[in-house]
Amino acid sequence: MSPAAVKVDRLEKTLGKNKVLRGISLQANSGEIFGLLGPNGAGKTTTLRIICTLLAPDAGSVEVLGFDTRSAPEDVRRRVGVVTADIGVYPRLSARENITYFAELSGVLDGEVNQRVDAVLNRLDMASFANQRAESLSSGQKQKVAIARAIVHDPAVLMFDEPTSNLDVLASREIRNFMVESRGRGKCVIFSTHVLHDAERLCDRVTILHEGSVVATGPTADVRGAHRELEDAFLELVEK
Amino acid sequence: MKALGIVFRKEMREILRDRRTLMAIGLAALATPTVLIVISQVSTKTATQTYTVGYAGEIPVGLDTLLSATGLKLESVTDPAEAAKHQVDVGVVFQPTQIDEYYDPTRQGAQVADTRLQTVLGQYNAAKAAAALQQKGIDPGLLNPVPVKVHPLSSPTQAAGNAFLSFFLPYILITMVLTGGLSAALDSSAGERERKTLESLLLTPTPRSRILLGKILSVTLISLIAAIAAIGSMLLALTQVSLVGGTHIYLSPLAAVVMVWLAVLLAGSFSSLTLALGTLAKNFRQGQAYSTPLYFITIFPASIILFIPDFNPSLAYYLIPILNAVLVLRDAIVHNSVAWPALAVTSVSLVATGLFCWFAALRLFTREALLVRS
Repeated sequence: MSPAAVKVDRLEKTLGKNKVLRGISLQANSGEIFGLLGPNGAGKTTTLRIICTLLAPDAGSVEVLGFDTRSAPEDVRRRVGVVTADIGVYPRLSARENITYFAELSGVLDGEVNQRVDAVLNRLDMASFANQRAESLSSGQKQKVAIARAIVHDPAVLMFDEPTSNLDVLASREIRNFMVESRGRGKCVIFSTHVLHDAERLCDRVTILHEGSVVATGPTADVRGAHRELEDAFLELVEK
Repeated sequence: MKALGIVFRKEMREILRDRRTLMAIGLAALATPTVLIVISQVSTKTATQTYTVGYAGEIPVGLDTLLSATGLKLESVTDPAEAAKHQVDVGVVFQPTQIDEYYDPTRQGAQVADTRLQTVLGQYNAAKAAAALQQKGIDPGLLNPVPVKVHPLSSPTQAAGNAFLSFFLPYILITMVLTGGLSAALDSSAGERERKTLESLLLTPTPRSRILLGKILSVTLISLIAAIAAIGSMLLALTQVSLVGGTHIYLSPLAAVVMVWLAVLLAGSFSSLTLALGTLAKNFRQGQAYSTPLYFITIFPASIILFIPDFNPSLAYYLIPILNAVLVLRDAIVHNSVAWPALAVTSVSLVATGLFCWFAALRLFTREALLVRS
């Protein structure tokens, strides 16, 4: 079995008066696409935000490649890249400048920044618009900038939070291809989505969250069980 | 510290590509000289303008020549009191033993004409009295038993110029330091949330305190550039225009140094404060709404100099931020000297204010609600 890249243990979190996470545990490994599934409000985004240290847990613990999110948040952030549905970029900077800024802030060595930026620009086929200001880019191009800035420091853990929800069919396909490619490179890919069709096609293992609790976890085929599609299993679980 | 430089460079690059900020600085640099030129022309026009005196009765001998030389034009009217309401600036009835004057104090022209008329009449009366005494063989010097010889310790015209600067300079300094960097501060804080770049930024391993400090430094620099552009253009314009009486105004080197020092302190504090307010806001427009009261709070102390020009406060007053900067700068301009204890208290107060705002901004910038509310 691959080594655990992300270990979440009995995580709890309350936001305002709302108890969002009720003691969830999960584990995502290197070299796999791990699906974090659930309806809106299930706690997927909060879980991801805790994993990447943007939020602190009320109880429980999270380890990323052996680093605890509470005691070593900067070490965790150095090893994590996050792509969300919000493809916010700095509009007055070019695509290249956007990516360079994040490379520098993520601690890429001075002598390697340009090399790394060029590498991701090529990898994501961005050369044609690399020097264009971000405000003039299409949604798909902006999404590529968002991915590029998340991977420019070559993180071992990649998290995708509903990455295709604002994209057209072509751009969505590119994201899916990228996730598969990253898995091939040995990365731990965590894919949070409510699009179960995508999850079924891509994920090696899934965890289904509902109202802040884990209702199913395991290899995708096992969670689907006897149902024809993962969606049927999902509906049965959340409507119980 | 490397991260601080990275954030600073990126923020400056964005600011310098932001038309809103550049327009604000450009307009400030143009607006101040324009206002000064208008003031200069209005004051010159007021000083040289001829005002009309509507009169009835017989004009005392020689008075018409004096009035004419002072820019007061005589015009015969049937009812001077009625004419003084609209038709002429001042109404006068010459009687054998006295002169009745009618004017409306609510009219600015009437006020100026009244002042000129009083001056001319005073001189005329004195000359008449002196001539009468001389005719009787009495020394006219009797009318002025203790002559006063005035010895100004500094140039009265320069003092008038300094008084003008002591009001305008603090006012422009404070408003420009605040407004010059406001757009950049809101763009750098509320704008991050509005564009949804904040989460990605906070995901980098760079400590948030350095990210914030980089932002504060860039906003501080742009505020200083805006203030110096506005004040520089104002001083340049002052070399080309003169106020009443041909007064030319210049800023002493000491006052210039004090002004730059205060500008740095104020810019640091305002940058932290506006960034903190911007962090509270969800978008640029909300940030502007939160910042609006700042205009009134900051302009109020500058107005004190206008309404209480001789305000001489105790050292404790120099603890009050903004007011202290206004007072120190006023003293440096008017007296061309610095009260070092006052400057020290002011500096400590403004540095403490800056630190307080910085901690508040950092606290707001690191709270979870910042992301949850996003």
